[in-house]
Amino acid sequence: MTGEPTEDDHLLAQLREQASRLVAEVDGPLRRIRMRSGNAVVEIEWHGAATPAEAGPALPTDAVVRPVSAVSGTPVAAGSGADAASRDCVVAPMVGTFYRAAEPGASPFVEVGDLVEPGQVIGIVEAMKLMNHITAEHAGKVAEVLVGNGEPVEFNQPLIALVSA
Amino acid sequence: MFEKLLIANRGEIALRVARACRELGIRTVAVHSTVDRDSAVVRYADESVCIGPAASRHSYLNAAAIIEAARQTGAGAIHPGYGFLSEDPDFAEICADNGLVFVGPRPEVMAVLGDKSRARALMRDAGLPLLPGSVETLATVGEARAVADEIGYPVIIKVAAGGGGRGMTVVWSAADFARAYAHTRTVARAVFADDRVYVERYLPQARHVEVQVLCDGHGGGVHLGTRDCSVQRRHQKLVEEGPAPALSAGTLDAIAAAALRGALSVGYSGAGTVEFLVDEAERFHFMEINCRIQVEHPVTEMITGVDLVHEQLHLASGAPLRIRQDEVQLRGVAIECRVNVEDPERDFLPTPGRLDRFQPPAGPFTRVDTHGTPGYVVGPHYDSLLAKVVVWAPERTLALDRLERALEEFDIAGPGVHTTIPFIRRVLDDARFRKGRYSTDLVDRLLRDADTPAKPPVDRTGEPAAPTAR
Repeated sequence: MTGEPTEDDHLLAQLREQASRLVAEVDGPLRRIRMRSGNAVVEIEWHGAATPAEAGPALPTDAVVRPVSAVSGTPVAAGSGADAASRDCVVAPMVGTFYRAAEPGASPFVEVGDLVEPGQVIGIVEAMKLMNHITAEHAGKVAEVLVGNGEPVEFNQPLIALVSA
Repeated sequence: MFEKLLIANRGEIALRVARACRELGIRTVAVHSTVDRDSAVVRYADESVCIGPAASRHSYLNAAAIIEAARQTGAGAIHPGYGFLSEDPDFAEICADNGLVFVGPRPEVMAVLGDKSRARALMRDAGLPLLPGSVETLATVGEARAVADEIGYPVIIKVAAGGGGRGMTVVWSAADFARAYAHTRTVARAVFADDRVYVERYLPQARHVEVQVLCDGHGGGVHLGTRDCSVQRRHQKLVEEGPAPALSAGTLDAIAAAALRGALSVGYSGAGTVEFLVDEAERFHFMEINCRIQVEHPVTEMITGVDLVHEQLHLASGAPLRIRQDEVQLRGVAIECRVNVEDPERDFLPTPGRLDRFQPPAGPFTRVDTHGTPGYVVGPHYDSLLAKVVVWAPERTLALDRLERALEEFDIAGPGVHTTIPFIRRVLDDARFRKGRYSTDLVDRLLRDADTPAKPPVDRTGEPAAPTAR
């Protein structure tokens, strides 16, 4: 890496990337997007005013403000763990079983103190017999591994905590 | 019986199922989305697993996450409640493939009955009367219009894969048919990913009468009487009562017997509801079979004394039916109303928000099924049903007065929060409703009566227009 990007640079880059991804994903026309990183809140406002109950597939004409949950790697204020809010946690994107290594007996993907790069695999969540590689979305130092090998995890559960390197 | 059961639902029905499990000594797993983390059922259940974000397609409709949660917690069965995955044959099959008991009928039975057009054909073969119309789906507008012209207008175009009151269009004249047909198929493709439709005679003045059945899949079955659900707005039920009022005992018996015959003919198992339309001459016509516990199931519980969720669990464990038809006694009258967080004054627009005050009614023969609590935040993500108020009385007039009293007691308040209670009270006050002589057009009439246009209305009768009830 050339030049040390600051935490703000990372955050901005991430917000930009998330925003463009969101715009690509949602049905327009959009009126406003608000993003906050403290509690990882994303608000999207469509043109119009109706707020349908989500009982089934929504039609593109629906206009509603929907908070969108954080995906893995984004900073989340984890409900458990000390001062989780001040650290970035890589969270489980699905319900499943967390594995720290590629196979039994192999060395773990990451250990406390390791520096991780964006896109680096930090573990696996097995769900419905599928192995899903979990990656860090941005760089940092592993401060804590929050889930033991082979333990069940729920959606959005913090797996590892990162601090700025 | 199962040791542990996962509840694949949320809100009042999830809590209702959890309570039944507690009574039977079954441990419960509540699955929830990120926004339901602090919900009543999560607090009540023995364990909970977060399965996804707020959007239900990634959480409550996420079969993989639900199965994974069941595997993780060691649950042996899944109760799907109503809505969400409750009538999804694929989900039922996935449960079976993973060694889990799905509380509901067999997947193949669900698949057949989920296709409304195939269900019609099967019920016709079982000798149930149908409304005039097509039994097969109609692939071209020409074919469909020919059927409509033959049976006479108004007709209703229905989506074979539809349900829950969605995906139907009423057509009043031949001139509107082609456009309505195209529109219905477009909506069906978007909502149900299946654009097959069929055409039926539409009865504007009919009554929606349904029958609760329990079958064990070993050939045993009982019916538990009728419910009238004619108070509807846009095919969504607002008030339900049992037994259906103002119908002769002979008609009620004939409808119930037909319902049970129909359910048994397709090898139904578990709790199901067979829906009929009844015309002014008390002729009844089969509409559809619902393969789930229904929102209005407490009405039947109150008049029969049978706990339908207990029976669902008993039957799902593979046991034979433990109730004989001659043991089913219908006593008195029960009426349920749905309390939705919607503003009747603004076309029933959902009004999510925090409930600063939430004090449900109580008192004799008064049951409230709700997940609401003081401080509960009604979010914008899910159905707006907040509570069901159900009352019982030995006769209908007292039941109406009791429900009125209960609704008066219900204290719900929060910034921007409105409920359907004021509108329900107008329904209960309506002379047609009080007499028990009402049909599916009652709500539309009430709304028309209350409509105050900006300019003086043109009144064809010469009577002054009805004042707006506020």
